[in-house]
Amino acid sequence: MKERRAEPSGWWGAVLLIATEATLFACLIATYFYLRFKTGEWPLGGIEKPSVTLPLVFTGMLVATCVPMFLSVRAAKGGAIRAAWWLLFLAAAVQATYLGLQVHLMIGDLHSFRPSANAYGSIYYTLITVHHAHVAVGLAIDAWLLWKLSRGITNYRMTALRVAAFYWYFVSAAAIAVVLTQLYPSL
Amino acid sequence: MTVSTPPASVRLNRLERIWKESPGVLGWLTTVDHKRIGILYFFTSLFFFGAGGVEALAIRTQLIGPNQSTLDPATFNEMMSSHGTTMIFFFVVPMSLGAFGNYLLPLMIGARDMAFPRLNALSYWIYLCAGVFLYVGVFSGNAPSAGWFDYVPLASKAYSPGPGIDFYALSLLFVSVSTTAGAINAIVTIFKLRAPGMSLNRMPLFCFAFLAVSFALIFALPALSTALILLELERLLGFHFFIPAAGGDPILWQNLFWIFGHPEVYIIILPAFGIATSIIPTFVRRRMVAWPLVALAEILVAFLGFGVWAHHMFAVGLASATTIYFAAASLIIVIPSGIQLFSWITTIVTGTPRFKTPLLWIVGFIVLFIMGGLSGVMFAAIPFDQQTTDTYFVVAHFHYVIFGAAVFPLLGGMYYWFPKVTGRMYDERWGKVSFWLTFIGTNITFFPMHILGLDGMPRRNYTYGPEMGWTGLNLIETLGAYLLTLGLLSVFANLAISIFKGERAGNDPFGGDTLEWSTTSPPPEYNYAVIPKVSSPYAMWDTEDREEDARNLELGRKTLEGGHETPASTAVDAEWDEVLEMPSHSGWPPLVALAMTGVFAMIILEQWFAAAIFVVVLALTVAGFHLKEPEEA
Amino acid sequence: MSPLNPHSPAAHHIATLWWWMLVVAGIVFLGAVAMLVVGWVRRDRPGLPFLGENEKLNTGLVVLFGMAIPIVILVALFIVSDLVLLNETDAPQASSTAMTVTVIGHQWFWEVRYEGKGAETANEIHIPVRTPVNLVVHSADVIHSFWVPELNRKIDTIPGQANSIELYAEQAGVYRGQCAEFCGLQHAHMAFRVYAEPMPKFEAWLANIRKPAREPTTPLARQGQRAFMRDGCAACHTIAGTEAKGTVGPNLTHVASRETLAADTIPNTPEELFRWVQNPQSIKPGAKMPGLGLGPEKFHAIVAYLTGLK
Ligand code: HEA
Ligand code: HEA
Ligand code: HEC
Ligand code: CUA
Ligand SMILES: [Cu+2]
Repeated sequence: MKERRAEPSGWWGAVLLIATEATLFACLIATYFYLRFKTGEWPLGGIEKPSVTLPLVFTGMLVATCVPMFLSVRAAKGGAIRAAWWLLFLAAAVQATYLGLQVHLMIGDLHSFRPSANAYGSIYYTLITVHHAHVAVGLAIDAWLLWKLSRGITNYRMTALRVAAFYWYFVSAAAIAVVLTQLYPSL
Repeated sequence: MTVSTPPASVRLNRLERIWKESPGVLGWLTTVDHKRIGILYFFTSLFFFGAGGVEALAIRTQLIGPNQSTLDPATFNEMMSSHGTTMIFFFVVPMSLGAFGNYLLPLMIGARDMAFPRLNALSYWIYLCAGVFLYVGVFSGNAPSAGWFDYVPLASKAYSPGPGIDFYALSLLFVSVSTTAGAINAIVTIFKLRAPGMSLNRMPLFCFAFLAVSFALIFALPALSTALILLELERLLGFHFFIPAAGGDPILWQNLFWIFGHPEVYIIILPAFGIATSIIPTFVRRRMVAWPLVALAEILVAFLGFGVWAHHMFAVGLASATTIYFAAASLIIVIPSGIQLFSWITTIVTGTPRFKTPLLWIVGFIVLFIMGGLSGVMFAAIPFDQQTTDTYFVVAHFHYVIFGAAVFPLLGGMYYWFPKVTGRMYDERWGKVSFWLTFIGTNITFFPMHILGLDGMPRRNYTYGPEMGWTGLNLIETLGAYLLTLGLLSVFANLAISIFKGERAGNDPFGGDTLEWSTTSPPPEYNYAVIPKVSSPYAMWDTEDREEDARNLELGRKTLEGGHETPASTAVDAEWDEVLEMPSHSGWPPLVALAMTGVFAMIILEQWFAAAIFVVVLALTVAGFHLKEPEEA
Repeated sequence: MSPLNPHSPAAHHIATLWWWMLVVAGIVFLGAVAMLVVGWVRRDRPGLPFLGENEKLNTGLVVLFGMAIPIVILVALFIVSDLVLLNETDAPQASSTAMTVTVIGHQWFWEVRYEGKGAETANEIHIPVRTPVNLVVHSADVIHSFWVPELNRKIDTIPGQANSIELYAEQAGVYRGQCAEFCGLQHAHMAFRVYAEPMPKFEAWLANIRKPAREPTTPLARQGQRAFMRDGCAACHTIAGTEAKGTVGPNLTHVASRETLAADTIPNTPEELFRWVQNPQSIKPGAKMPGLGLGPEKFHAIVAYLTGLK
């Protein structure tokens, strides 16, 4: 692994990509509150307020995976590739469970109200689905990295691991913003 | 580069061999060379300029007199919407960022390619596919027809049932992917690949402009994407965001669109400013006056542009406090424009101006920009805007700033860098003639629009009655548009003929100020045999540095001919950091773009299952794209 | 139809604002161009003596022309237009107006209602001269924009939102207005007229408009009325006092009292009316009224009926 004076291009690229994705979330959340403050009742049309506990617990789970991601990068930097691999694997397993549980919750929601019901339903599902899509992309990155790391480490893979960790920090931060927005009517 | 010693020619041969591009069509399909990609961007966006121009001429021909029926109302609305959409999204932005940015940025900073060469190729192919996608709609009779800002509810399913709006929304989402990738690429290139020694305060102003534009794009495009995604969810899947009966609000669209839309107009103008600051010093033989202020102003314009969006919405009945805030912000943004404007003017006046063709276009640009800018300021007077919004006065304003101020420098830039790109000189006399034709044509076309607007003519009217008294000026405008077309055709004819007939240009026909003039015309694949030494923003005028480069070549220093390599440096001070191994040609970018086209095509056909399959194909091509591990990371 | 031909205080203010801005912009423009002309005159010669060398002075010039002077101008413009004049064109206070008129934009005509007076018409707004009227606008479909340039600024009509401006005419007269926000195929033919009349004339007009429609007096007109009710017209149009209660098209109770048809597209003469009812699509392609193909006889009868609806 080489010593660096400057961050590699890939890191810069990832930071910028995350900046633009973060703006996308900001726009969606702004849309949520814009719609909310245009009407008196919220949720609209007699839809039940979201229940708080499970989404918060799941989000906590996702945010917790930042720790193994962080440790995985540290391990890889220190040359402990096997440790890095297992830490990444742990994170990925929890993240995948998170996505599964969230999708399960969402299917439950779909039984009680549909996105086409009204603006509340529409922005509710749009917001959380966009976030789930980001988690899914993150899992694809994890899988790819696990495969790559199983065959040793290079500068390129080191950067990729750092970028993946960075990505998950962002997805976790976005998860907090999204879940607080999602639960806002009940808070 | 003239070579006198054998060691130097050995090195050049080796560079030549390592960087060689594949010949033929396959070479162009798989190229990752920023210069070739720039040329691809150039011709593609020129084609869209032609398409948008034909649409403009159709509009003008329909409006030549009262109650004409060259176009029926439906066709007129399609022409008008396609004209705006094409010109903004498929001509100016790709032309300035894609063609000029791609070709020139690495050259100006002394690099051998962009930071992510394959991503760069991918941006191009996505752009091409998105443009074709939109025009498949136009040619299949499904052109968008709700104007370029596509207000709902007119653009909702209830009032625009056909797929035209879906072509609009999906092609813009599609092209946003390309633009975002291009912007990220440009920023990283500027931050990472500047020749060692080119600290930020030694970077040409051109690069500052492109840096500012790229940042603006990164933060502006998501607002557009959000708007488009919401619109398509509403149109295709029955979601509700904009219909009041279901708790939505049509003004939400306007906010999201203009949060993107206003930064977009500065995204359009800033590259033009950058080109102006390249051409002026060369032809007035003088450094820019107030250089730091100009660099700051370029960045400030892009930044402040995010705070003014609601000045497009003064007539929707917003609260007064809101409109007042946005009016104030619109006035503040005049200051950085004023600084740049007077820096150009003072530089010209206090230098030794030679009014060669490129400088003529810049002077024309300055005049037209003042005109367009001053009418823009008037809109910041809210009551006046509330009178003139949605009239031809607005059409006049934005064609002065867009066509006059953003396109003129692009045309001047085409003349200016023509010798660099082709190795030949354009025809100076015809260059001047083409300028005057276009300049006069522009004013004849767009100046009377101010008067028409003040005479009450609303925009986007497919016709008007003879009793309105708008006939004479409309006739003049249409004739002006024909003259203007003649001017543009003479520009392109001049350039096209000069490719074959022009005199040999040599490396530096104008005594240019920036690095690109130090290499051969056209530049070799590797741009520079020796990584150039830089100690000021006017690198070409630092003759000792250039002599040192020549010595380095003979001594074989800093030639990096060990592989497909370019140096990377630190972001601010540009200290030498590492040598990067750059990827060479790759077939994946066009494949990824094709897979993405499949996804969008299936969405518009509402074939959800097939769309899902294409998403998988897309994921596979993206994986393929990453099979090879380049050093670029 | 020009904002520079003002007939109300608000429009006057805006016109005056424009002329002042034009003068200042003209000076700024000419000043900047004059500097360029100096450059042109001294082309190919080394820079201006003295100035050319002194970078400090040059930067000073940029700051003076690019910052200092503009700031003064911009602050003045801001105070005059956005703090002072803005009040003139703002939505009126409910108490300051004498009456309220509601205008509803439709693709592509204007529905006009006199609140609390039970009067309804289309594409024509009558107001008493020198009387402030509170104009409330809505939309029935897409966004339109209500604009009578000689009387006031424009205001968008937005579904789900009520906007208002003041309508005030200093002089009696007819003022043309037009839809200014792009609203689809016939955006170009969505005009209307404002008639500012002395109070007695206005009141007479209003008294007539409030009445139900006149009964047809000739056999032909009676035949026309029957056709109107049975052959489809009534599904879209309202004629007060009859069974026609449609709300898709303009209210026709007093259609013969109007000067124009189809949102100021054609004059209201029997010939033009015939042409319109027979084939509206040839006059206003895309309009939401179909040609019903009832044959010339029935259409003549319908025209006879409609021309009696004064
Ligand atoms: C290249 C693109 C470009 C540029 C640079 C600008 C520049 C400006 N624009 Fe423009 N604008 C558009 C493109 C652009 N615009 C487009 C496309 C639309 C219409 C979209 C649509 O509806 O379809 C539009 C519409 C538009 C509106 C909405 C009009 C309406 O629809 O009602 C407004 C309102 O404030 C506005 C303001 C401004 C201002 C204040 C500037 C300022 O940045 C101008 C600053 C420059 C100068 C002022 C000149 C130079 C400076 C001096 C000479 C110094 C001295 C000056 C003074 C003392 C005043 N623009
Ligand atoms: C970059 C932006 C751009 C550019 C360059 C132009 C250029 C022109 N525009 Fe456009 N215009 C817009 C952006 C632009 N416009 C926008 C955003 C709108 C608003 C749309 C809306 O309301 O939604 C608009 C609206 C608009 C209208 C108002 C329509 C209406 O409200 O009803 C009119 C009317 O005259 C007009 C005219 C013209 C003309 C005559 C040109 C001319 O300058 C065009 C001249 C160019 C050519 C004639 C092409 C030259 C030929 C070639 C390059 C061919 C060579 C190459 C090959 C053959 C490969 N434009
Ligand atoms: C499907 C609905 C529909 C039907 C049926 C219909 N109309 Fe209309 N009519 C409209 C609409 C909408 C307009 C406004 C058109 C415009 O100006 O764009 C209109 C306008 C008119 C006008 C002009 C009113 C004005 O003041 O400008 C007249 C007169 C008229 N219709 C008469 C008739 C007659 C007579 C019939 C039957 C033969 C008829 N309409 C059938 C919808 C309808
Ligand atoms: Cu109604 Cu335009
Ligand atoms: Cu703007």
